[in-house]
Amino acid sequence: MPETSVPAPPSTVSRPVSEALLNEKWDRCLSNMLIKSSLGLGFGVVFSVLLFRRRAWPAFVGVGFGAGRAYEECNYSLKQASRDLKKKAT
Amino acid sequence: MLRTSLRSVRAVGSRPVAAAAARQWQPAVARSAGAAARRCFADGKKASIDDSRPVKLPSTETNSAASSEPPSLRTESYIDSTIIEPKDAPLTPPAPEPVVSSTKTAAPLPPPAPVKKKGFFRRLRNYVLTLVLLGAVTFGGGVWYSRINDNFHDFFTEYVPFGEQAVLYLEEMEFRKRYPGHSVGGTWNKDTGAQVKISPQSGASWRVADSGEPAGRQSSATRDVAASKTAASAPGSAKTAAVTEANPAPDSSEKELKPVAKSSEAPKAAVSPDAAFAEPQAKAKKSSRSSRKGKTDFKAPEVDEPSRFPPASPIDPLKVKDAQEPVVQDLVKMLNDIIAVVNADNADDRFSSTIGKAKNELNKVGSKIRDLKAKVESDAAAQVTSKVNEFETAANELVGRVEKAMIGQESQWRAEFEEEMKRIQSTYDERIKTEIEKEKQVNEQKLNNKLLEQAIELKRQFLKDVKSRVEEERSGRLGKLDQLSSSVKELEQLTTGWNDVVDVNLRTQQLHVAVEAVRASLEDVEHPRPFVRELVALKEIAAEDPVVNAAIGSINPSAYQRGIATPSQLIDRFRRVASEVRKASLLPDDAGVASHASSWVLSKVMFKKQGLAAGDDVESILTRTQTYLEEGNLDAAAREMNGLQGWAKTLSKDWLGEVRKALEVQQALDVIAAEARLQSMQVE
Repeated sequence: MPETSVPAPPSTVSRPVSEALLNEKWDRCLSNMLIKSSLGLGFGVVFSVLLFRRRAWPAFVGVGFGAGRAYEECNYSLKQASRDLKKKAT
Repeated sequence: MLRTSLRSVRAVGSRPVAAAAARQWQPAVARSAGAAARRCFADGKKASIDDSRPVKLPSTETNSAASSEPPSLRTESYIDSTIIEPKDAPLTPPAPEPVVSSTKTAAPLPPPAPVKKKGFFRRLRNYVLTLVLLGAVTFGGGVWYSRINDNFHDFFTEYVPFGEQAVLYLEEMEFRKRYPGHSVGGTWNKDTGAQVKISPQSGASWRVADSGEPAGRQSSATRDVAASKTAASAPGSAKTAAVTEANPAPDSSEKELKPVAKSSEAPKAAVSPDAAFAEPQAKAKKSSRSSRKGKTDFKAPEVDEPSRFPPASPIDPLKVKDAQEPVVQDLVKMLNDIIAVVNADNADDRFSSTIGKAKNELNKVGSKIRDLKAKVESDAAAQVTSKVNEFETAANELVGRVEKAMIGQESQWRAEFEEEMKRIQSTYDERIKTEIEKEKQVNEQKLNNKLLEQAIELKRQFLKDVKSRVEEERSGRLGKLDQLSSSVKELEQLTTGWNDVVDVNLRTQQLHVAVEAVRASLEDVEHPRPFVRELVALKEIAAEDPVVNAAIGSINPSAYQRGIATPSQLIDRFRRVASEVRKASLLPDDAGVASHASSWVLSKVMFKKQGLAAGDDVESILTRTQTYLEEGNLDAAAREMNGLQGWAKTLSKDWLGEVRKALEVQQALDVIAAEARLQSMQVE
């Protein structure tokens, strides 16, 4: 039946189903962390090469900064979501 | 300014007159032409002073003076003046001063008295003339206009002296011109002033028919003229008709009185004593005559007494007793003439004896004649008596004969009359008989007619009765028919009611079928699909059913557009949702990354419950729902899932919506099925 098969795809595309909400958030957080930590790593490597005579710790520091930043953002988004839920419930 | 212009105009206007004077005397003209330049010229000459003639001033002269001259002279003088002028001619409007000065200079020059006198008279004459002319013209105009306008006519005749006469004359003239035949009648206008006398005998009188002319009221002017003519022809009578009327009356009286005095107009008859009754006019004449001859007669002045005295003249006129005879009358008349002549000649003494004799003779003659007459009369009487006797006898005989004849004729006539009567009677009898027969026939006919009419009437009545009977019968049958038709109608109604019932049954059946179709479309397919068509059919079948409508309206539009999930699908999805919910089951209120991670880790190590676990935590709710779902109790499962809180609720929201939709559709279908069942029950 074409009529039954047609309307299904847009629902999945346009709005994620409710049970996938958290998973999506987790995905975003992980990707964000990866990017930020890699950015920090890159910055740390450059700094270590340029300033610190190829020492390792500037690279670790950079990764730490990136991961910390991503964590914070993820935390914020989750809390915001929970706050929105509360508002909706009330 | 105005005055100066006037003066200049006058000077120009008087130029021809001045020229006329110039023919006689040049300088005067030059002066009158009136310019300052010419003053010196006039001064130089000054001939006017020497001149004995009075100078004509242009102002005093009239324009219509007899002394007019040919224009050539005037032009010459004008040329002369123009030749002199141009050096110091005044500007276009000639100043008033020169004229004044000229008059000043001119005024002392001529001897003023004669000039003024002459001028005054002439002016007076002219004035009077013009006045008279004007008056005549206005009068004439007034007369003429009064004939046109009535109002003006009244005004003119009332206020203008002689106006009325003039207008009347004019009208009369016109009248005569228009009707020439009436030209004689114009005279009647003239005697309006004369007093109109109406004679005492005018109008109706006791006399039946007057012997005289039919005078009296004047009916027309022409007749009146004729009457006046006749009056004029009569001697000693006045012109008026009254006198002519009076004339014949005494004439007739005289005739009646005495035949001798028949010709009363003659003066001799007036002498007779009988003429004393004549008109006073005759009396006056006689008196005048008597006065004329009364030089010797002393009794003349006493004539005012009764007129019997004057005839006591020296010789009496003859009086004859038997003057009936014409011969004697003639003789008497002759003798009276002679006596009158004798009296007139005053020769009474001489002829008295002879005349007395003649009188006696005459008397004798009269007596003789009377005797003769008597004798003749007696003879005649005798003859007459004898004749009368003869005639009487003859008449008697005649009468007798006539009577006989009459009797015979009468008898004959009577017989004839009786015969005729009989005949007439018979004819009348016959006629009467025929009449009676006719009458009888007519009566019979009438009676027959009446009988026929009655028969017809009876027939009609019978017909009517029959008709009414038939009508009654028909109405009775018709009533039955009506009953039948009403019963048929009832039957029809019943059938229609049954039809309705059948219809309702059909509809309910259709409803059932439709509901079943919807249910089938919901249940017998693996994947959800829209059931819009089935729902539309259902709605059409139960168009007017509010319950069905409300039930259909309660269904979420997305449900029949996309279809609802089947229970197996719902259970499948519930498993996924339950695992997700379990991951978030341990989350605190304000969860961060760490709490989420810990909850996810801890949920892996949690124990799983079985059956209808008691408790309010997420794990127990989930297990209960699962058991309800396994039992097929969607409603209870939905209720359980609805009791979740926080993240768990949000995660299970979509699944709950699905379940609700399915539940709604199911409920609506249940309601519709119940309604259909109810309807089918109602029908039965």
